[in-house]
Amino acid sequence: MDGTVVIKGFKAGIILVLNPDASYETLKKDIADKFKASAAFFGEAAKAVSFKGRDLTDEQKMEIVDIIQANCSLSILCIMEDDPETEAAFQKTIERKIMEQDYSNTGQFYKGNLRSGQVLDVETSIIIIGDIKPGAKVISKGNVIILGSLKGNVYAGASGNTNAFVVALDMHPVQIRIADTIARAPDNPEKALGNQTKIAFLDNGNIYIEPLDKDVMSDIRL
Amino acid sequence: MGEVIVITSGKGGVGKTTSTANIGTGLAMLGKKVALIDTDIGLRNLDVVMGLENRIVYNLVDVVENNCRIKQALIKDKRYPNLYLLPSAQTKDKSAVTPEQMKKLTSELRNEFDYILLDCPAGIEQGFKNAIAGADRALVVTTPEVSAVRDADRIIGLLESNEIRRTHLIVNRLRADMVKEGNMMSSDDVVEILAIDLIGIVPDDEHIVISTNNGEPLTGSDCQAGQAYMNICKRVLGEEVPYIDLEVTKTFFQKFASIFKNKH
Repeated sequence: MDGTVVIKGFKAGIILVLNPDASYETLKKDIADKFKASAAFFGEAAKAVSFKGRDLTDEQKMEIVDIIQANCSLSILCIMEDDPETEAAFQKTIERKIMEQDYSNTGQFYKGNLRSGQVLDVETSIIIIGDIKPGAKVISKGNVIILGSLKGNVYAGASGNTNAFVVALDMHPVQIRIADTIARAPDNPEKALGNQTKIAFLDNGNIYIEPLDKDVMSDIRL
Repeated sequence: MGEVIVITSGKGGVGKTTSTANIGTGLAMLGKKVALIDTDIGLRNLDVVMGLENRIVYNLVDVVENNCRIKQALIKDKRYPNLYLLPSAQTKDKSAVTPEQMKKLTSELRNEFDYILLDCPAGIEQGFKNAIAGADRALVVTTPEVSAVRDADRIIGLLESNEIRRTHLIVNRLRADMVKEGNMMSSDDVVEILAIDLIGIVPDDEHIVISTNNGEPLTGSDCQAGQAYMNICKRVLGEEVPYIDLEVTKTFFQKFASIFKNKH
């Protein structure tokens, strides 16, 4: 532990300054020790990692990332190159990723009916107390829960969250979109469809609409 | 090179959208490659009448703002593979598009399609100016009512001053029985007032209401309106088609109705 590895922090992640003279095996051991010792300090966070002071192959970088994740509760989202441009790009990705994680688990309320031409665009999950009429649209990065009838368009998981879902007391949407998958209403709707509470979710690239029962609810992942 | 036709009226509710849907469908049935463009931004209806609302992902405004390619926004009809719809945006207003952008759009579509039909919004403001910007010819829809005819006259004047010389008239929702009793203007009366060539007479037919509600145009079907629209399509292509005698079929219907009544 004579300074073969120095850990520095910056806004979006951590920099490992590695001693170019030490052997790779020693480095690995030192990295493991350092992160084990600082595990409590880092806590559970999502970070990017960058390497300095020594050229590493891609396999070595991956190996080091695995060592870090094995020894503390950090999750390493990406490896940053020592290049300001890509660094800025990576930082953006990380910020977005972190924001998404926060958003999908928080929500807000909206009371009122959405009529044709109205769009409700929110960053978080949303609970709507009212109806979505044909021609109206709800866009959310998280989940959408409608305490009323859904007869318009809904776009859940707008930033790509495939676990997003849509619940409505009366489910008769024109179109439902979850992440990048779009489902549209059948051209010949069966008249006798009751107004039962239903959930729409994405599974294997298909959107399913099913009655909201215990089995389905236990499969929901936030 | 395709032909761009705007369907307009001035007054609202006389049947522009219904006529666009039915003429577009008819031209497709006759083997032409047709694109319908809904220019009524903010109050789109053509997609509903065509029964294609559930397929909309991109719209006219996305195309002119270059958010997507034209091909991505064009919706293929569920009945005719050579019929396409470019839906309008519901969340914007007429000022989202300029006449120059419409000109560019229609000139691009000309290379792809035989006919491009533009469903014009009511009124003579921005939406109307957008719709007529790229048009070669116009179909003016009117009903045999004084107010609708007055607005149609104004529209014909505006079309002329915008260098659209080929304008034809569609008299919609004509009731032969009322004309006979002298309670409604005949198509001849309307033509005399407006002084442009007639291209079709569509009778007042309850089948139209059913068809628009179901999202299935009725061109070519057995009912009077279906035949009337098919004849308009043929005349648009330049064929000489005699006008159907609404009177005769009316008495047939009356006979039929009276038989029906006696049974009950």
